[in-house]
Amino acid sequence: MENSRRHFLKSTCALVAGVSVYPLSRDQANADTGIRINNLKYAMLHDETKCIGCNACVEACREVNHVPEGVTRLSIEQSGPYGKYPNQYYHFSRHSCQHCEDAPCVNVCPTGAAFIDKENGIVSVNADKCVGCQYCILACPYDVRFINPVTKAADKCDFCRETNLKQDKQPACVEACPTKALVFGNLKDPESELVMLLKANPTQRTKLDLGTRPKLFRITAKQGEIIL
Amino acid sequence: MNALHFDSLVWHWPIAIYLFLAGVSAGAMFFAVLLKHVCLKEQAYRSGFVQAACIVAAVSVLAGLGILVLDLTKPWDFWKILVFYNPTSVMSMGVLILLIYQVFMYAWIAVVFRKPIEEWCQPRFPIVCKITTMLAKYEAGITGLLIIFSVSLGAYTGFLLSAQPRFPMLNNPVLPLLFLASGLSSGAAASLLGGVLLKGSPNGQEVRFIHRVEIPLILGEIFLIFTFFMGLVLSGGQSKVAALNAIGEGFWGLIFWFGIMGLGLSAPLAMNLFMNATSKRKFSYVAGTACLSLLGVIMLRNFVLYTGQMVVS
Repeated sequence: MENSRRHFLKSTCALVAGVSVYPLSRDQANADTGIRINNLKYAMLHDETKCIGCNACVEACREVNHVPEGVTRLSIEQSGPYGKYPNQYYHFSRHSCQHCEDAPCVNVCPTGAAFIDKENGIVSVNADKCVGCQYCILACPYDVRFINPVTKAADKCDFCRETNLKQDKQPACVEACPTKALVFGNLKDPESELVMLLKANPTQRTKLDLGTRPKLFRITAKQGEIIL
Repeated sequence: MNALHFDSLVWHWPIAIYLFLAGVSAGAMFFAVLLKHVCLKEQAYRSGFVQAACIVAAVSVLAGLGILVLDLTKPWDFWKILVFYNPTSVMSMGVLILLIYQVFMYAWIAVVFRKPIEEWCQPRFPIVCKITTMLAKYEAGITGLLIIFSVSLGAYTGFLLSAQPRFPMLNNPVLPLLFLASGLSSGAAASLLGGVLLKGSPNGQEVRFIHRVEIPLILGEIFLIFTFFMGLVLSGGQSKVAALNAIGEGFWGLIFWFGIMGLGLSAPLAMNLFMNATSKRKFSYVAGTACLSLLGVIMLRNFVLYTGQMVVS
């Protein structure tokens, strides 16, 4: 009796441990095979040296994707001014979804409402599946997710996956940019403008140490001040 | 920065209450099983403390789930969590653990209270007796799995917060252990409080047993809290900023030093040592100590949840 109980407890522990570790190992394996399936992986480049902070991108996004007032999928963060008059300038940096290859929001979503489109690498939200637990908002290191006050679901930039991309157009923000500071394209296409620019310029991505492998690149403007 | 309202705050106090209730339920069930197997054996159902533990465990897990559902932005869509699962999501796996835990919890309660249940049901619903007889055959398995799932549930409350890269203070491997330890001690405290309220003897063998277990448990908790913050400080960077911000000056610093370390841990530890040494166990001592422990755990959950979300990686 005692022996069989011990045996039972042992095997149950082993089973629970196995079940909980299995999905983690499988996910790593899938990440590599997924890439080989197709030849499409969207990414974006923000050239901060060209950005003038006009917010045309923000308004275009709001209109095309019907984003309600009070929330936004993208914002341009301004800092400065740096330098002395008359040579003053501001820094503008784009604050929006980075479309991580290993997205924390997708990993934590209990229902699978947050997902990565295997066709093109876009991180997106299925509003119907979302229950609004806000775990993804908690987990996103880039703080780009919000609850859409109309759908009550988590929402964020999806590179206009549901709108402009379906009509074979560039994302709304890219089309609206007057200085061509935003470049959208396919990382798998070596001839694309995006890949050419990424190869020719020093670019940055934020919080790489977290292992999220983001796909929003930036050409940074000159520093303006020294921060240690 | 305002202590209760700041920009990076995503999850508010209802989540802390939910984590607390899940921990209480897991801890109460854990101690109910221990009480039955170490002290009471077949007489367990007569003990006010086991009765209290079972009531507390069943009510608090349901209350916690209720709070969790109401806290969703789409409460009516909560069933989607039960239908769609994501194996990489700690929350999804936690829901699974909660469901299975509850099955074994009710099964175990049915087995332990088999006698009164069968006496009451025999003339009215004889079918219930068949079920309890069948469950009783598998008591060993039910008990083993209940212990495994109650410990999993206790640890899950910590993993829920640690499974994200954004907040370095929460993304900490000690957190699940700390929440498990404090969940077990809150379950013990809730059982003691409920037990004496249900006319259990404050000097009974159950109280003596739980107090004996509680002393090393509280010492372990203090050690885990020390390791938790030591690990953050030694990691450097934003982890260190987050740790020093949490236990330094201000509202949450006060809560930590006076509320958690003082009232929640040191005072119950002192009271337990006193009661063990003098064998003076009165209703007021036992109930007061249990209340302090529970208060300390509620404060710990809120403290970790709020200060954890203050500093971003």
